[in-house]
Amino acid sequence: MNTSGPVITAWSAVSAFGIGRETFSAGVRSRQPVVTALDPERWPAPVDRACLVPGADPRELLGRKGTRSMDRVTGLAVAAVGRLLDDGEGGRIPGLDEDTGLVLGTSNGSVSSIMAFTRDSLTQDRPYLVDPARFPNTVMNCAAGQSAIRHGLRGPNVTIAGGRASALLALNHAQRLQRCGHARSVVCGAVEEFSAERAWLEWHARPEQDPGDASRAALTGEGCAVLLLETGTDPAAGRPVLAEVAAVEIALPADEKNTGPVLADCLRRALHRAGLSAEDVWALAPAGTPGPYGAQESTALAEVLGAHDPIRLSCTDLLGDTNAASAAFQIATLLASAEGDPAAAGRAALVTTADPDGVVGCAVLRLA
Amino acid sequence: MLSSMTPRRVVVTGLGAVTSIGIGAGEFLAGLRAGRSGAAPITSFDASGFEHSQGCEITDFDAERFVTRLPSAEYGRASHFAAAAARMAVEDAALPVEDLRAARSLVSVGTTDGESRDLDRLVQQEVELGAARMDPVVARRVPAGRLSVAAARELGLVNVEAVTLPTACAAGNYAIGYGYDAVRSGEFDFALSGGADAVCLKTFAGFYRLGTIAPERCQPFDLDRKGILTGEGAGMMLLESLESALARGARIHAEVLGYGLNCDADHPVAPNEDSFARCVRLAHENAGVSADDVDLISAHGTGTKANDVSEARAIRQVFGGRPPRMVSIKSMIGHTMGAASALAAIACTLALREGFIPPTINHVRTDPECDIDCVPNQAVDADLRVVQNNALAFGGNNAVLILGRHEPDGVGGAQAAERGAA
Repeated sequence: MNTSGPVITAWSAVSAFGIGRETFSAGVRSRQPVVTALDPERWPAPVDRACLVPGADPRELLGRKGTRSMDRVTGLAVAAVGRLLDDGEGGRIPGLDEDTGLVLGTSNGSVSSIMAFTRDSLTQDRPYLVDPARFPNTVMNCAAGQSAIRHGLRGPNVTIAGGRASALLALNHAQRLQRCGHARSVVCGAVEEFSAERAWLEWHARPEQDPGDASRAALTGEGCAVLLLETGTDPAAGRPVLAEVAAVEIALPADEKNTGPVLADCLRRALHRAGLSAEDVWALAPAGTPGPYGAQESTALAEVLGAHDPIRLSCTDLLGDTNAASAAFQIATLLASAEGDPAAAGRAALVTTADPDGVVGCAVLRLA
Repeated sequence: MLSSMTPRRVVVTGLGAVTSIGIGAGEFLAGLRAGRSGAAPITSFDASGFEHSQGCEITDFDAERFVTRLPSAEYGRASHFAAAAARMAVEDAALPVEDLRAARSLVSVGTTDGESRDLDRLVQQEVELGAARMDPVVARRVPAGRLSVAAARELGLVNVEAVTLPTACAAGNYAIGYGYDAVRSGEFDFALSGGADAVCLKTFAGFYRLGTIAPERCQPFDLDRKGILTGEGAGMMLLESLESALARGARIHAEVLGYGLNCDADHPVAPNEDSFARCVRLAHENAGVSADDVDLISAHGTGTKANDVSEARAIRQVFGGRPPRMVSIKSMIGHTMGAASALAAIACTLALREGFIPPTINHVRTDPECDIDCVPNQAVDADLRVVQNNALAFGGNNAVLILGRHEPDGVGGAQAAERGAA
């Protein structure tokens, strides 16, 4: 692929399907949702099922060394970045210098770690009898910082919070770091963990007008997906290009009602910037958030694509609502699907999202 | 690289500050000049179980007064701070809000804790009443992405990329650096960039447990320093291209010359001198300045034993035996976390514009291990051309910002021309 823009040359994922790219691709092909029945002792949550990553406890995921105080979200990120950078023989993939950057999306770090820390302060004999080893977990850049420590990434280390748009905001940030000379290669993705605390917050945060509605009990998911972003002119070590990031567009509709039209504008701008038309789109992966924002997203896609009907890949059906990680999983789903489909070559793939906290966005990938 | 386009010069034309020593850039400036202290007993949470609990809170912030458009009950205190500071920055810039709405803009807000004040409250409800009885209105305010959304929505922006950067205590510099690149590359017309945080029990308890909360006052670089005071507030800057500022006859406060980012990839909380020195060099390179050009350093200067010595040593690695004067405004406003480097950047901007150096207050005797001139206790007049703003964070996240006095034919101009040619 001949391009000067940012290109994706590798990806990996830690998801409900399991650990690593192959299990993710197999999961996408099988289209079998992975649902775990929750042990109420372990998870005192207002839900009894969720889409959990198997073996997501950091000690199980990464071994005992250095994981005693590590929280779940950090373990997921460290594992996914590790998989991405692993050459399959326990070494590092070639061509990455130590100034490689990391841009990681998150909703809020770990609300579980934050709330557990405050809970200790409120319930111990003295309010300062908190566990100092767990204090860093309560800061939202913990997962990115630990991923850098464990994998020796000394370039710009950025954490991005933008709800379901986090991975698209991270992708934009990563390509700007490259364009402005701050980093040559950037690991870019997003992470989300399941916890009882998160489940409660989401349960409370859903609109009150639909109690008993199925969306109030939508399955919660978790995981981490990461991409290796290089510049088109020098994919290091001759790695084949998987896709070019042709355009990313972000906006902020004033309210829910304007979400569809503003997202449609983003889509038109992105296709225009990429020099593509709706007919060039081979597949799309929408966020598909249950409720009005997902409906607005569908309206925008229908408006822009018109009669054209590309392949529609839903990962929310398979992996649950992975919130901050959702758009990263959407990209991974597209890349996994393109791998096995010769019809994808040279065509475009679309990722869209509409976050209930406001931000909408889309990305256009040109597949190799 | 920006090789395919002509990079634009980026200037600061609007300042918004919400601080414990003054609300609004003018009041903040008066506080910096006077060496005011924002320290007082903490009232945000029940601090009776702690043996000491001074902090730098904003006790006279009335959200309704500053936040006019946002439905304020739907957003937490840090979002209110961010929205208020953003509005102030736009008003300070005398930029008609319709013009801002018609343009393409970036809103980048750095934070450490997001709305952890609200999470504290939800945990309290959970402990007292059970998880099912948490307040749903407060629960909806939690996601950190809402800080930048609040700032953008307060101004009615739609054609905007609103992004929150929770890169802990270096987040303000990250956000301003991002705004700088956004405008410099020509991708955005305006950037509203800075940071915001609200005092919360979680962070106070954590630092207290680590033994890093000072009992009474914050004394950066002092031999007898005892730690930080937690603080709160927000600082937001309006950035635009020099061309745009000149075309609309805007008052130019300062020029952003560049910034550097790197990561220690070493220890989760302890700073790494060599790595921070490398970040300073990256910033100089990006800004097209050398260490000799820097007239003043605004230190991260938390007032802990570890930070101040490490930071001073890193500075000496880069600057040699005689570094420029190095001050910490945390002595006055405490450690405002994600807002800290944004407010320090505003202090640097004011220092460049007004020709003075804000003092490091509460200073008795300089630690010989730090061995720097921290401009103790009294502001001094100074002819400043290039100022460096340091920030270090948990996770080994370093960010250093370089600002310059705006002179059409002066330092900023000459350097920008050189950088353009390079």
